[in-house]
Amino acid sequence: MDNYLPIFVLLVLGFLFAALSFTASAILAPRRPSVAKAAPYECGIVPRNEPPERFPVRFYLVAMIFIVFDIEIVFLYPWAVEFRALGTFGLVEILVFAAAVVIAFLYLLSNGALEWGPARRSAHWSSARTTASTVLHISPAPSDPRLSQASGGEAPEHETPAEELAEGSSEAPARAHPHEAA
Amino acid sequence: MLHAAYLMPLFPLAGFAVLAVFGRKIGNPLAGWLATGTVTASFAIALVTLAGMIGEPASHRSFVETLFTWIPVSALHVQVGFLIDPLSLVMVLFVTGVSAVIHWYSIGYMAHDEGYARFFVYLNLFVASMLILVMASNLVFTFVGWEGVGLCSYFLIAFWYDRPAAASAGKKAFIMNRVGDAGFLLAMFVLFNALHTLSIPAILAHLGDLSTGTATAAALLLFLAATGKSAQIPLFTWLPDAMEGPTPVSALIHAATMVTAGVYLMVRMSPLLHRATDVSEVIAIVGVATALVAATIASTQNDIKKVIAYSTVSQIGYMFLAVGVGAYTAAIFLMVAHAFYKSLLFLSAGSVIHGLHDEQDIKKMGGLRKFMPWTFAAFMAGWLAIAGVPPLSAFWAKGAVLVHAFSYDIGLWIVGAITAVFTAYYMGREFYIVFYGDERWRRLEVIKGDPHESPWVMRGPLVILSVLAAIGGLLDLPFHPHLDFLSSWLAPVVGSVSRHSSVGVGGEWALAITDSVLAVIGVTLAWRLWRVTADARHLEPAFLQRAWLVDETYDKIFARGGEALAGFLANVVEAKIIDGAVNGTASGLRWMGSGLRRIQTGYVRNYAIGIVLGLVAILAWMLVRAGV
Amino acid sequence: MSLFFLSALVLPKIAWSAILPELILLAAPLVLLAVSALSARRLPTGVYAGGMGAAGLASLGASVWLWTQVTPHGAGTAVDGAIAVDGFSVLVMILVSSVVVLAALIGEGYLRREGIGGPEYYVLAMFSAAGAMLMASADDLVLIFLGLEIMSIALYVLAGLDARRQGSGEAAMKYFLLGAFSSAIFLYGIALVYGATGSTNLPQIADFLAHNVASSDGLLLAGMALLLVGFFFKIAAVPFHMWTPDVYQGSPTPVTGFMAAVAKAGGFAALLRVFFASFGLLRDDWQPVIWLVAVVTLLVGAVLALVQRDVKRMLAYSSINHAGFILVGLEAATTRGIAASLYYLFVYGFMVVGTFAVVTVIARRGDEAHDLGSYRGLAQRQPFLAAMLALLLLAQAGVPLTTGFLAKLYIISAAVEAHSYALAVIAMVSAAIAAFFYLRVVVLMYAGAKSGVGLPAPLAATGAGEGAGSGELSPVAAYGPGAASAAELEGDRPEASRPDGAGGGEGHGEPDAAGVPATIALAIALCAGFTLLFGIWAQPVVELARQATLLFH
Repeated sequence: MDNYLPIFVLLVLGFLFAALSFTASAILAPRRPSVAKAAPYECGIVPRNEPPERFPVRFYLVAMIFIVFDIEIVFLYPWAVEFRALGTFGLVEILVFAAAVVIAFLYLLSNGALEWGPARRSAHWSSARTTASTVLHISPAPSDPRLSQASGGEAPEHETPAEELAEGSSEAPARAHPHEAA
Repeated sequence: MLHAAYLMPLFPLAGFAVLAVFGRKIGNPLAGWLATGTVTASFAIALVTLAGMIGEPASHRSFVETLFTWIPVSALHVQVGFLIDPLSLVMVLFVTGVSAVIHWYSIGYMAHDEGYARFFVYLNLFVASMLILVMASNLVFTFVGWEGVGLCSYFLIAFWYDRPAAASAGKKAFIMNRVGDAGFLLAMFVLFNALHTLSIPAILAHLGDLSTGTATAAALLLFLAATGKSAQIPLFTWLPDAMEGPTPVSALIHAATMVTAGVYLMVRMSPLLHRATDVSEVIAIVGVATALVAATIASTQNDIKKVIAYSTVSQIGYMFLAVGVGAYTAAIFLMVAHAFYKSLLFLSAGSVIHGLHDEQDIKKMGGLRKFMPWTFAAFMAGWLAIAGVPPLSAFWAKGAVLVHAFSYDIGLWIVGAITAVFTAYYMGREFYIVFYGDERWRRLEVIKGDPHESPWVMRGPLVILSVLAAIGGLLDLPFHPHLDFLSSWLAPVVGSVSRHSSVGVGGEWALAITDSVLAVIGVTLAWRLWRVTADARHLEPAFLQRAWLVDETYDKIFARGGEALAGFLANVVEAKIIDGAVNGTASGLRWMGSGLRRIQTGYVRNYAIGIVLGLVAILAWMLVRAGV
Repeated sequence: MSLFFLSALVLPKIAWSAILPELILLAAPLVLLAVSALSARRLPTGVYAGGMGAAGLASLGASVWLWTQVTPHGAGTAVDGAIAVDGFSVLVMILVSSVVVLAALIGEGYLRREGIGGPEYYVLAMFSAAGAMLMASADDLVLIFLGLEIMSIALYVLAGLDARRQGSGEAAMKYFLLGAFSSAIFLYGIALVYGATGSTNLPQIADFLAHNVASSDGLLLAGMALLLVGFFFKIAAVPFHMWTPDVYQGSPTPVTGFMAAVAKAGGFAALLRVFFASFGLLRDDWQPVIWLVAVVTLLVGAVLALVQRDVKRMLAYSSINHAGFILVGLEAATTRGIAASLYYLFVYGFMVVGTFAVVTVIARRGDEAHDLGSYRGLAQRQPFLAAMLALLLLAQAGVPLTTGFLAKLYIISAAVEAHSYALAVIAMVSAAIAAFFYLRVVVLMYAGAKSGVGLPAPLAATGAGEGAGSGELSPVAAYGPGAASAAELEGDRPEASRPDGAGGGEGHGEPDAAGVPATIALAIALCAGFTLLFGIWAQPVVELARQATLLFH
């Protein structure tokens, strides 16, 4: 039974940490909501209809890429501890492991996973573009007429990529929107 | 000896494959020649095999050529293999030989048909299936061929499927054959259950292990299969309808080869019949009855092909008579001779039909001998041959059957002899109506101008078959032990189970003379009655013209459910119970499907609930097992 | 007491050759990924396809070589008992490698048609295949789980490959969520089994059970139940099947074919091994479960397929039906039953990949024309495709002279031998029901054909006549034979035989009788050829499956 004690302690600690965070935030944070604050962020433009929940995919992606390396480190620690016992075999193994992760990272880089500027994309993906493609593939293909416009500098300055992604959901309305506001 | 039996079905099969894919590109007439070539190649291989086999001593003339195991599941080991022995070789020789000739003829006959290539696709597939049927070394493989020829027959009967009559004739043939096939399947089950093998040599070797009851059951079921395929009572009505197919098909499938498969099956399994003597008697009676009934019907038909079709039924009846009385060699002899003269008759009829632009009613023909001399001569040769006029082939072949029937039971012989008179008569009737008398087609304006003789490509086969029909008797001459080639050839296979005739040489002479007299009587009758006039209604009773009302009776009993007997019951049974069961099953399944489909909501949460419910159920079971 | 057990580590001796096929299929995608990342220009999809094809062939070669090693020397283990090197695993490797080659061929044609570049399809497919192989050869529950995850995660992404169609994303999402759920259940099952037996190693579990017969305790049985659920999900057994139609329908069609073959191969291989080899002693506990699940799977799969109008959905239910058949072999719990299941699995892989390859072509650009209407009169427009599809569907229906027939025969005879008569009867009934919807497609394809050499027109006409009687009820009937014969009547006008679903294709301005991409045609021909050749010349594959089971570790 002794063996399980640390696990139990860890469990309790974890719960405590989570509970504390929530409580602290609930107690400490000032809360003064207004209509404007509650409205979804739309570049200062008054939303005409209830927009769907939006999330800037790019942040999640970076977080996920981080997790990959996080896991790599999780494996590197025990290997480092047992380095001598594992010997050459361990070295080779860890190199293979690292190589796999690096190749994956290279692939991500080549696909522009870490580019934050306006789209400059390797066009692995087809021209037809929908919500799904946008969500899955960070930013759209250059063959999209809208995007070539954007990279040509004609797009409004405030239109961040993340937003654009979200807006890309339905082509025509998204385009019409700014013009109308103007 | 050449051990390459697999090549024989392989050639037509390859022809089938090539024509099925490229047939239309190869086109007319090359496709036909290609098909003919493949069958001729098979014939050549059969000849080489024959030559090799003749060199062997009689006891070494049988071998099994196994290619591979087809179904190796549990105790059931079905092998794709060929049993080559004198019997199957005879069959192969005449199947490929006659097929080649008829393929050749079809090149001319089908020349103007838009389904030209398709026709040869089916024809080649048929030959391949027939060869498999004949050579298969186990019953399952035989059944593959059996079904294959049935399928091809169905396709070819319904070849002009835009004609309703052809389509429904195809269906009729298919359904009647299914009844027979059920017998075949059941026979296989019975035999496998008793002997744990379906290999033909093994079955025949272990017949001693069968109880008499089992042997009788198996033999009866096989005979049921044979009656379906070979159009015997009670399943004979499909064959005349099958004449809706193109004439070469009638000649090849519905006269020479496929319809004799039942006889072959009986001969192949003759040791089984030997153990089930009751069945032999049934076969003999059914055979001779069919022979007589069909001959009477043939005497009154007005369709040029239906006369020949009923004649085929009648002749196969003779073969079954031979099988029933234990004269297996005579059955095969008659089968081969029949293949010659019956394909000759069909092809001549086809030539007439061709010349008169698809007219088949003999009452609209007449006086054609001037316009189609070749066809006239060929038809006459066929007629005299089938009539049993000495020394043409049927005289010997039918004579052999009748001798054995006589020695078995004189009653059978009497019926057979009467049938012989009818045979000479009905074919003569057709001959005279078609080729003599007034030129009725002129008055009825069947065609414009005069009928034309068929092209060479069709006349060639007629000549060959005429010669064969005339001299076919040479295969097996009685009277002298050195002249009965076929009997001694087949002796290793059927010799031990054949019944030998107790008629002495004198008796044989007497019977032969009687046969000749009977043939001459029939011929004379036809000449007297039909040479001048084609209009003699009193000689064509409606009862016979409508084929003893068998179709109508079947229609009443099976299709309309016995209206006269209990119309009310029929309505209920058919509409409510039978239809209800069929439609009900289908709709019930659909209803179930639609109901079940509602579970498929498309929501992941519902799917997850499904998983959880399943998990809970399995867990519950396991925990019950654990006794928690 | 110490948390970190710091005694000297014993390094396992690794027999690299034993896992060579997996290694090839893990290394090749890494190479492809690196190439695609480092190359300046976009590479044509054919390059990746070539790479995948080569990797598939290499792994096929390695598998066959392993077979030649296993056959004379018998089964063994490698990598410290974690990998089983036996005929069973090697046969699955051969199957999966073949499917990889076929998937490369089909994917090339598909991706080129759809204009989708990049190495993703190929890379993920190979990873997935490696996972399936690992599942088949793993001799340890943890390793099975590892293989399961490698296989599944790649499949999740593959399902969502066609980003333009919402259905594809939906499929990926559903598959992922439910897959993760079932993986968790599976993992929990491993934990329980470990708790009960003290090992995750399959032979050691078997050993433990052999020495502790009385200990069929709740912990172990609950663990088994959870493991079963995990497997049932992967092989799409009812009631864990509900993801299947949605995912099969939504995924890009080549992926569906790949998924159907590989996921089933991996899942079933592990299921058969774990339950037959390790939990064999507890068969009284799990056999009834398999029995019931097999029955429900057989019937639900067949019945629900009847009411589908979307061919991919129909094939999804048909694959559920097939899973039921394979379960029948496991239920028999005899060597012959396992051999039958393995044979079924093997030939099913080729049938299903070929079928979906044809569906891929027929769907045309956009991958959306899956309605039954698209198949009407196909024989006239695409005689090759129609003939191949007819063959493959008839094989799935279990028509003699195809591998499908032998597979069903083998399964049913195994069930009969194990005295599971009821199950054998139910399996036959379900096969009869299933035959209907396969034949419906075949009839539909040939009904529009007026004349031609391809296949017999009378056959089509009869089919139409037979179906018409029973088909007055449902929307299905409108697409069934009745409507087909109507189309036949007006068959002289070329418009009449055009499919209803042609709209999608016309939008892209493609001609109706667009050619079949050569690579896909090759794959289809290979599958159909396999199905027909080994349906007629049955012995080799049947013998292979039998030997594989004899060489069971």
